[in-house]
Amino acid sequence: MTYILGGYQTDFARNWTKEGKHIAAMIREAVEGALAETGVEPREVGVGHVGNFAAELYSMQGHLGAFLVEVDPAFRGLPTARHEAACASGSIALLAASAEIEAGRYDCALVVGVEQMKTVKPQTGGEYLGTAAWYELEAEGIEFPFPKLFGRLGDEYDKRFGLRDEHLAHIAAVNYGNAKRNPKAQTRHWYMSEAHARCTDRYNTAVGGRIKVSDCSQVTDGAVAVFLASPRFAAGYARRRGLPLAALPRILGWGHRTAPILFDDKIAESADDPYVLPHTRRAIVDAFARAGLSGCWELQGIETHDCFTTSEYMAIDHFGLTEPGESWKAIEEGVIDPGGKLPINPSGGLIGAGHPVGATGVRQLLDAALQVSGRAGDTQVAGARRFATLNIGGSGTTSCVIVVGGSAG
Amino acid sequence: MRVNQLMRRHPQRAVVLGANGAMGAGSGAVFAAAGVPTTFLARTRDKAIAGRERAEDMLKSTAVRALIDVGSYDDDLARAVAEADLILEAVAEDLDTKRAMFEKVDRHRKPDAIVATVSSGLSIAAMCRDRSPGFGRSFLGMHLYNPPNVIVGCELIAHPGTDPKVVAAARRFLVERCGREVVETSDTPAFAGNRVGFHVLNEVAQLAEEHGVAFMDALIGPHTGRAMAPLQTIDFVGWDVHRAIVDNLHATTADEARAAFVLPGYMARLIAAGHLGAKTPDKGGFYRTQGKERLVLDPKSGSYGPPPRLELPPFVARMRALHRVGRYRDALDVLATAEGPEADLARRVVLGYVSYGLGRVGDVVREPRDVDRIMGFGFNWAPPGLLADFLGLKRTVTLLEVARLPVPRVLVDAAERRQPLFAEPHVDRGRFFFAGGAA
Repeated sequence: MTYILGGYQTDFARNWTKEGKHIAAMIREAVEGALAETGVEPREVGVGHVGNFAAELYSMQGHLGAFLVEVDPAFRGLPTARHEAACASGSIALLAASAEIEAGRYDCALVVGVEQMKTVKPQTGGEYLGTAAWYELEAEGIEFPFPKLFGRLGDEYDKRFGLRDEHLAHIAAVNYGNAKRNPKAQTRHWYMSEAHARCTDRYNTAVGGRIKVSDCSQVTDGAVAVFLASPRFAAGYARRRGLPLAALPRILGWGHRTAPILFDDKIAESADDPYVLPHTRRAIVDAFARAGLSGCWELQGIETHDCFTTSEYMAIDHFGLTEPGESWKAIEEGVIDPGGKLPINPSGGLIGAGHPVGATGVRQLLDAALQVSGRAGDTQVAGARRFATLNIGGSGTTSCVIVVGGSAG
Repeated sequence: MRVNQLMRRHPQRAVVLGANGAMGAGSGAVFAAAGVPTTFLARTRDKAIAGRERAEDMLKSTAVRALIDVGSYDDDLARAVAEADLILEAVAEDLDTKRAMFEKVDRHRKPDAIVATVSSGLSIAAMCRDRSPGFGRSFLGMHLYNPPNVIVGCELIAHPGTDPKVVAAARRFLVERCGREVVETSDTPAFAGNRVGFHVLNEVAQLAEEHGVAFMDALIGPHTGRAMAPLQTIDFVGWDVHRAIVDNLHATTADEARAAFVLPGYMARLIAAGHLGAKTPDKGGFYRTQGKERLVLDPKSGSYGPPPRLELPPFVARMRALHRVGRYRDALDVLATAEGPEADLARRVVLGYVSYGLGRVGDVVREPRDVDRIMGFGFNWAPPGLLADFLGLKRTVTLLEVARLPVPRVLVDAAERRQPLFAEPHVDRGRFFFAGGAA
């Protein structure tokens, strides 16, 4: 069992390049924030993991684990590592840390997800993100390859089941709307409406097939730090804070699968499968099984990977909210809306809250932990006991799912 | 009670007067983005249309046009004002012009409509003098900051006759539907933000006469807790607006900072010659862009030349380097301990800001938090309370004493209680500190 002691998210609206900051500042602010928020002492931390996609490209800086040591003199000597699995890098860092805790190697792990993306112009950033696909075969020479790949995911749904763009517009509007209640969300002061998401105008242009600007997650600078702990450490920590151990959120189950990297191979493989991305479905089923859940209706909310509206559309049926291909039903019935039967992305998700690539999985886990602790502020889902996260790398290539439970979870 | 109920669902309709200007179009954009059908009025319909286009640009959407209709004062004011629950005036920053507009509004408005002015510092009470009693009760200042689609700070200013329910209703609308960070201030000159902010800006403009424009902007640059250097900010705001604000403050305030509000003579001379900053690109302000070259004003001669080679004291580079890696407290420690006349000068301005900002608690705002919020959310400057926290509260008291600046009571109290002054939830402390030089 791995407990989540809490953490800190930087304001995803910030532009750290305009502030003249090095990625070290992002890591430092997130870690110092998490230390202050949780009351964990630096000397109590046994190991550090960093999730990051491409700092070598964006910031000309590798070896990010070493930057944890810069934060506090007590971290000198701390064992650290950096993990990369494209947009799922944050979840991979979390899984590595929780595995070490479950193995009994360490009692308290610091996990940081971080990405500084506003160092380069959008086209260059799009090129860098292309390395999350098979670059030579799917991205080289293509402007903004990822919107195009996830546009094709929508096209595949359209071909197999039918897909109406107004359902995608609703996903965008819900995520932007939720972000307005999240004080750390990148788009919290932006304008968005379902009418705007439905329209195509000079501000809402197509960027990849059926994917328009309003269907996209954001280019975001952000860092998130959380502390994970063993039952033994968590028990002492809870005592110190005057809390029952059961009040601390914990990881109930996880799933982690990797599909063929080429989008064409994924689609060919799933031609006869009920699910368009069967490996993503398996990651979800694995996590539910490990958490002892019979299905999605034992959750009170989901933080999913809406890098584009089509990926959330996919998540809806893959999580089991509807039969395969019928995600539109959950959208029309308001299931995913705030106050709905199973709200998705109360944080605003990647579209509304922002998508600092390597930080996203850690942000999702922190938001899930806050939800099941009843500490999610204006984004709180009433009565949340269990939340799931889905964090995806590439075009549905790496899928990580984590089920988080609270006191009654 | 009526107003309260109204604003829970309302405003159902808003009107912006002067919707072609930056503040009018921007404020109208904020209302429309909140889903409120809004009428943009200007002297001519074409000007109102231009304002709507500005709003669309700010919101990056043409879909929002469905919520914005346009018209002229002559043809549409009577009808539009009669239908509106919220009327925001954003015409020229001139008391007589505004009063003339409110006379018309008073004739046509619904009895329970809220009337607000976006004025950045004129007397709210003076604006509604001679209006009907009902108008006075429904009238308040709603000072949004420029550009309103980006800067979320907003001051609400009641005059003695404003119905508190009107303030509460306006606050609820601005916070819950418009995403504003609202600070209530008293109806004192320039309210809170501009009084504290222009104290710094004008002091730096005064010092530029002796020390040079580029040097002062570098010395009190982004590393002292602001996105934009002070003299660049005056160019952005416009020298005419700057003069209106500091002249008003100099004429109507009598506190320790009155001398800091005297407009430098060189600025008065250049304004007379048409130099208004960024809005007069050919003449410029503190800076003038000529082709690809950025020229700098020499205040002594009034001429422009290439940027001088600056020899900055080493503490500036050390502060920037520390900010760059997120060591903000250490950077302020450098500011507190650096030696030499330049360091004294930098401390004088930064500590003057802390002293004057926190010193306004009591007469202009209720709590230190109010000053911190408006400087953080309105100016994007490191709030005075946060600077004091990072410098150390006790040490700030000592530094103020050494600099012979007034020591605000709230600072002494916080130092005694050993409780940080800046306690804004969800705000990253680091976002106010910039590692770059003056751009």
